[in-house]
Amino acid sequence: MARLATDGTNDMRIAIGSAVLRNPVIAASGCYNRGAEYGRITDVSRYGAITLKSITRNPRLGNDMPRIAAAPGGMLNAIGLQGPGIEHFLAHDAPKLADVPTAVIASVAGFTVEEFADVAAAMDGLPNVVAIELDVSCPNVDREGQCFAADTQSIAAVVRAVKLRVKLPVIAKLMPNVADLKPIARAAQEAGADALCVINAVRGMEIDVMRARPILANSTGGLTGPAIRPIAVHAVWEVAQAVTIPIIGTGGIEKGRDALEFLFAGATAVGIGTANFRDPRVHIHVLEAIEAEMKRRTLTSVGALTGLANPDFAGQKVAAASSLIRDEIR
Amino acid sequence: MTIDTRSKGMSKRRETREWMPTAPPQLQTATIVSREFRPPGFWCVGLREPEIAKNIRPAQYVAIDLPGGFMMRLPLGVFTADGEHFTLIFQEWGDRTTRLAHMAIGETVSFIGPLGNEFALPRAGSNAIIVAGGLGISPFWLLARELHAANVNTTIVLGARSKAYIVGARELGTHGFHIEICTDDGSDGFHGTVVDRVRTMRRAAIMYGCGPPGMLRALCAFANSEGVRCQISMEETFGCSMGTCWGCVVAVRRGSTQGTSYPKAPGEQRDFDFARVCADGTVFDAMDVVWRD
Repeated sequence: MARLATDGTNDMRIAIGSAVLRNPVIAASGCYNRGAEYGRITDVSRYGAITLKSITRNPRLGNDMPRIAAAPGGMLNAIGLQGPGIEHFLAHDAPKLADVPTAVIASVAGFTVEEFADVAAAMDGLPNVVAIELDVSCPNVDREGQCFAADTQSIAAVVRAVKLRVKLPVIAKLMPNVADLKPIARAAQEAGADALCVINAVRGMEIDVMRARPILANSTGGLTGPAIRPIAVHAVWEVAQAVTIPIIGTGGIEKGRDALEFLFAGATAVGIGTANFRDPRVHIHVLEAIEAEMKRRTLTSVGALTGLANPDFAGQKVAAASSLIRDEIR
Repeated sequence: MTIDTRSKGMSKRRETREWMPTAPPQLQTATIVSREFRPPGFWCVGLREPEIAKNIRPAQYVAIDLPGGFMMRLPLGVFTADGEHFTLIFQEWGDRTTRLAHMAIGETVSFIGPLGNEFALPRAGSNAIIVAGGLGISPFWLLARELHAANVNTTIVLGARSKAYIVGARELGTHGFHIEICTDDGSDGFHGTVVDRVRTMRRAAIMYGCGPPGMLRALCAFANSEGVRCQISMEETFGCSMGTCWGCVVAVRRGSTQGTSYPKAPGEQRDFDFARVCADGTVFDAMDVVWRD
């Protein structure tokens, strides 16, 4: 087992490609906007990284209202990738990223391979941005049958095109609405993805029975929150047997115990989304619970928790022990 | 003459109030100190938390985290505030409002607040009309207190479907302003809508509205046609209450300081931007709101 730290303190750092995060707890895309708001009421620096709301090439108005509905054990949303577009983002939002007190993962969404590559290239080198996440799986936008994350060739094409244009590590965010995630995960890894985010929101729908119409203006939405956690844990479990790159386990994490499920299933890091709304300090509680678990198991490197429950875990047991971190410690 | 920029939509208009930043929101804990059922289905719950009681501004709200595994906080406008206490007035209609209504005295809740912008105030000595539909009364106790202190001559028009659904008038009456009751069925006061009643009244320097969307739309149409300044406090389903999730947008005129002012996409035809009700509002100018069908 990895016992990297020599001074008796826990090593909470994890590596995603060449990016080293201070800890494995990441704010999921869409819940932290562009990083400014939650700094008013919580300590954002306790996040290992925050993921920005996805940016597209062109400005997007987004969906009509209603965009949100409460669901059993979760929340249904269909925002529709509302956003300023990359040019406006670069001019108005990007400079403010320097004020974010932790690492930033820039999320990119697109409708063509070129759009992904162009927007990702524009994000490379922005203040605090340490990795690019590809929102190849956003289920909210009406492009049925064209979802990149549903097809091995499409996801490989996007990852390959982006990798050619950016130096930063690239994370592909997988969509759970596929028959088998493993070949898609493998295709992303073979195309050069440095990590996978597993999973995006699960497609869902609620109908207003009084009006006999879907509640969301977009009809379908993405289900998030604890309702999807077992789906997400299983997805991480499966993907962890198929790839060797790090996995950011995301879906319904509300407390430390939930995060440990993901780590034990094979995730190197965890993403927290919807739970921020209820508890803006959720990441601090999760982080402290992970530290407590390391202490309980007398582990000094958080990477040693990865895959503990998964006998067929394919990745390196010591996710924290990238050569980069080893060099730093030496 | 000074410029009031506290309410972003007001930035280019003349106001008497000096600029005063609203207190930043905080994550705090409040204790339930009272709960009172008001037939047919309303509750007035009192909480103790000195900072919010002191700092809350008219139309601002708190986002409450209720025990019971809810995914989203319950956003509620603050009704009254005095000393170390504030009250919330709401209808029991869903899981979260039921949970809050049935919390025991002495229990504590986590909340984020104060949140949202606030109403702007007119010059001392001018006239104002407050127009509330049902629970739309909730931001107006604090506003009436401010208007009273600012020596603004205020008339309050309070409407509901019938007499039983008029709620909060007792508290609102304590500021000494005249209250006009309107009911859709004529069971109390004026037989008709609040906007019907306002049409017959003397023109005011400013009108304030809060209530159901149909009422607000009619009020804005009336105010805009008469050239009377009007501010409304809006409601939507909030996800985050912090402005991060973009789940609660309202269409505002392009050029409004509250909207996103994103550039248009190639070929895109629209004369509005979206604004977040939770963070850019909840107060918007009648001139700015775009009512889309």
